[in-house]
Amino acid sequence: MTKVLSQNAEFADQTTLAGAESRGAYDGLRHALEQSPRDVIQEVAESGLRGRGGAGFPTGRKWGFLQFDPARPPVLLCNGDESEPGTFKDHWLLARDPHLVIEGILIAAHAIRAQDVFLYIRGEYESLLPLLMGALEEARAAGFIGPDVLGTGRCMAITVATGAGAYICGEETGLMESLEGKRAYPRVRPPFPAVRGFAGRPTVVNNVETLANLPWIMRRGAAAFHALGTEDSPGTKLVSLSGCISRPGVYEVPMGYPLSALLENEGGGPLPGRHLKAVIPGGTSVPILTAEEVATVTIDFESMRAVGTLLGSGGMIVFDDTVSMPHALRSISHFYATESCGECTPCREGTGWMAAIVDRLLDGGARKDDLDRLLRIGGNIEGRTICGLGDAAVQPVRSFVLKFRSEFEALLRDTIPRLEPDWQAHGHGPRTARRGAVGEEARRSEAVTGRPTYRW
Amino acid sequence: MPVVTIDGLPISVEPDTLIIQAADRAGIEIPRFCYHPDLRPEGNCRMCLVRVKGFARLTPACTTPVADDMVVTTAHADDEVRRASRGVLEFLLINHPLDCPICDQAGECSLQDFYMHPDYGLHHSDVESREKVRKRKAIDLGSVYLDSERCVMCSRCVRFSNEVTGAGELQFVHRGNHVELVAFQDRALRDPYAGNLADLCPVGALTSRDFRFKRRVWFLHHAPSVCAGCSTGCNVRIDYTERGIERVVPRRNPFVNRSWMCDEGRFSYQTVSQLPRVTTPLTREGEDLHPVSWEQALACARGAFSLPRRGEAAVIGSPMATNEALWGLQEYARNMKDPVALEFRSTSADPDVEARLDELLLHADRAPNSRGAMMLGMGASDGLENIAVRAEQGMIDLALILHYPPVVPAGQPDLDRRVTALARLVRHARFSIVLTNADEDWWHAADVILPVASWSEEEGTYTNFNSTTQHVACGQDPPGEVRPAWRALLDLLASVPAARRYGSAQEIFDRGVAAMPAFDGLRFDTLVSRHATVYPPEGRTSYGQEGFAGR
Ligand SMILES: Cc1cc2nc3c(=O)[nH]c(=O)nc-3n(C[C@H](O)[C@H](O)[C@H](O)COP(=O)(O)O)c2cc1C
Ligand code: SF4
Ligand code: SF4
Ligand code: FES
Repeated sequence: MTKVLSQNAEFADQTTLAGAESRGAYDGLRHALEQSPRDVIQEVAESGLRGRGGAGFPTGRKWGFLQFDPARPPVLLCNGDESEPGTFKDHWLLARDPHLVIEGILIAAHAIRAQDVFLYIRGEYESLLPLLMGALEEARAAGFIGPDVLGTGRCMAITVATGAGAYICGEETGLMESLEGKRAYPRVRPPFPAVRGFAGRPTVVNNVETLANLPWIMRRGAAAFHALGTEDSPGTKLVSLSGCISRPGVYEVPMGYPLSALLENEGGGPLPGRHLKAVIPGGTSVPILTAEEVATVTIDFESMRAVGTLLGSGGMIVFDDTVSMPHALRSISHFYATESCGECTPCREGTGWMAAIVDRLLDGGARKDDLDRLLRIGGNIEGRTICGLGDAAVQPVRSFVLKFRSEFEALLRDTIPRLEPDWQAHGHGPRTARRGAVGEEARRSEAVTGRPTYRW
Repeated sequence: MPVVTIDGLPISVEPDTLIIQAADRAGIEIPRFCYHPDLRPEGNCRMCLVRVKGFARLTPACTTPVADDMVVTTAHADDEVRRASRGVLEFLLINHPLDCPICDQAGECSLQDFYMHPDYGLHHSDVESREKVRKRKAIDLGSVYLDSERCVMCSRCVRFSNEVTGAGELQFVHRGNHVELVAFQDRALRDPYAGNLADLCPVGALTSRDFRFKRRVWFLHHAPSVCAGCSTGCNVRIDYTERGIERVVPRRNPFVNRSWMCDEGRFSYQTVSQLPRVTTPLTREGEDLHPVSWEQALACARGAFSLPRRGEAAVIGSPMATNEALWGLQEYARNMKDPVALEFRSTSADPDVEARLDELLLHADRAPNSRGAMMLGMGASDGLENIAVRAEQGMIDLALILHYPPVVPAGQPDLDRRVTALARLVRHARFSIVLTNADEDWWHAADVILPVASWSEEEGTYTNFNSTTQHVACGQDPPGEVRPAWRALLDLLASVPAARRYGSAQEIFDRGVAAMPAFDGLRFDTLVSRHATVYPPEGRTSYGQEGFAGR
């Protein structure tokens, strides 16, 4: 199988410039610099490369939206926030082949004529920084970065920025706000980043893996890249395989590779004595696939779409028969409830509400119609939020509940019917025992705020 | 101009108009929390979602500009949009404390208003109160109180603080449904415009310290007026009850004050209500001034008018007076034998009505009508201080003075100067008549005192720094026997055959003031109708107080 991204990753000296250059690093950049930016964009468009950050948007098309305006020079943001649960391939790339990413960044910067590039690394990847800074320093010393890249007169500067651990900083406009030193509240589009992005300048945001494909494309040409993978999803995909699987890890597979083959060959199959139950194929933000569905799909954008899910970040989380789906959903829902930035109403209030319902399904106190309630709340979030996090939070809830309904229904067996109207909960009658909970909650919030809360 | 169709109604609007603005203009209600006509749209509340034909998803009406031939449907005509609005309102209420009975915003709260609308609300609560996320209550931030639990995170206040005043004192902290508005360390806000926060907050999260727990809003009567705190002339609404003025809030006028006013102006009504008043006419008997009836006082003052004179007469106006009162003074002067010194300025220099104190609203001239006085030609002499000097030289026979103290403390230096000159004038003029609203020491040497109405007690017009003439309505009854100044002045002239006799502020304006070239044929009716800079459209729900008239 042809490797585009990982062919040199196993060499220990690949992190040094000398090691990387001995295997052809920066040849792609040299090649790109010989071409005009327009030709590079053309080449990437012809390669059919699609974004690996989640949405799979064609990279050449994204670059083509930029209008060059010397008064507001374009900016390239390389998105290394990688906060999608179950995703760790950008880390893998940056740790093993930093020069590949740097080269990709420089090719993209040349293509969109950006002098200013920001590489945004999630806060938790702090330990990557020494390696990355070392690689950048080497690249600068060798003349790949700086005021006059390889004597072409092109100026390119790369700034590394780190987040502080918020998922929303990976959302492209949240990332821009974060870079501008603000709270990462996503922006309403339009205006789109290509028109008005970071610091009001036309901006392109690309994922680390997306850019890492560029050196290969520049060296081997668009046609060679297009020949890999499938017609609509050319190239390869770095898959982060985790969960109940024998050999978790990062694997590069050609697009169109069967998911079941990945699990069996690369992943080494289920743990001994266990059986596959489900796979989340693209980070927790995409609908889960049952074992039956897993058998039918291949790893590419169209096939995933055909079964109603998405390739997303390629973060594949495997569930086997020992996993309780409601417990898994609890963990996922809490992730979205705490990571919702809180800017727009449906996501801010809805994610917390869904998480609270999943909690009470597991902890007691659920209501008979709670599964329908979950679906109803999801319907009120989806498609109505500023950014994709709202939609993302709904996908696991809906797909878990619909595909593993019996496991959730089992939790509903001993619910107490809800009393109407609500205030009866605090009066006399069958619910008196619950009043302890009110006191408990009030005590807890007093402890947090230092102020009495009142209740009636 | 693009034509957009909203709920089947074609509306033609300027390019770049937002859908929500087009709808407002056409009188189609689109519910909203975060949209505010004088703040940059942020599109965070999602209450205003509408369907635009051809768009894959519902889109916020407050961030989407119209395009030609755009077809929009709102919650009134589209099931999915209605579900979306209902969903958002439900989300906003799940963690809301529902403490309307003790909330000051009740009655003018967007949450209440929209909940009562069958298209967006009237649902059964799907959560129990014990399940709500609790936040902090009643945080004292100086001019406003913050009740975090009631906040809908619309960020209007944050945007106001960042964009409008630049104070930048408010920010959100935490994430998810724990997001909370905070001021740094709960310190009192230092923004001199912070009072606006209580107005622009669509719910009861930010309430006015001054108005808190004073009156339920549905007991308030409203009068459109103009602030008398400086030459800006911010449009305000006086909210009053039988007890007097309860609060003053800005009224939207995109050309003057947008939706804002400064705190000094907002609280100037307190100065007005606490002013020591003179409420009956007084005339001199020997050493003392004695209360008399209007008839007696007028008779006494009229006698002075027709007295043979050797020297000059001084007719002194005030930049605090309405155009109508100033016109009355002019009429008085016009009917007198020369020489008459007609003046309203302290010195011979014109007041600088355009000098700004900040970039937002405040002007250095702490009177509302200096420009009007100038346009009426009131500054025809060499300034009050020079007139006082002539009085001391025995050259002034008769002084007619109209005087009001300023309504904001910042006007004090000016006042001191003025009052010193007036005291000299009154002491040395052979006969002096003072029309004033305030009981002050300086006029105790005068011969006749006529009590006149304060700001908010009479109808009239002011002309602001950039020559915009604006109508003020009467916001409360004047106390005692107080009369509007223009009426007192015309009463003084009742025995003069050549004097014009007008019966109302409107008549004075239309036939007197507007006849002056500087006022260029303005009509009082037009000024009154300009109160119609209403947002939202008249008769619609409150939307958190941006628009005031007609409610
Ligand atoms: C809530 C949210 C989180 C995201 N997090 C990431 C991330 O961690 N890394 C990433 O590359 N893209 C992330 N994205 C996608 C980016 O917004 C953006 O689409 C992507 O970086 C574009 O790169 P690409 O075109 O190369 O795929 C996220 C999107 C959303 C809505
Ligand atoms: S969808 Fe969620 S994360 Fe995205 S802007 Fe809205 S609240 Fe923030
Ligand atoms: S305090 Fe009021 S204005 Fe500020 S965000 Fe909350 S609801 Fe909006
Ligand atoms: S999103 Fe449009 S009014 Fe809030």
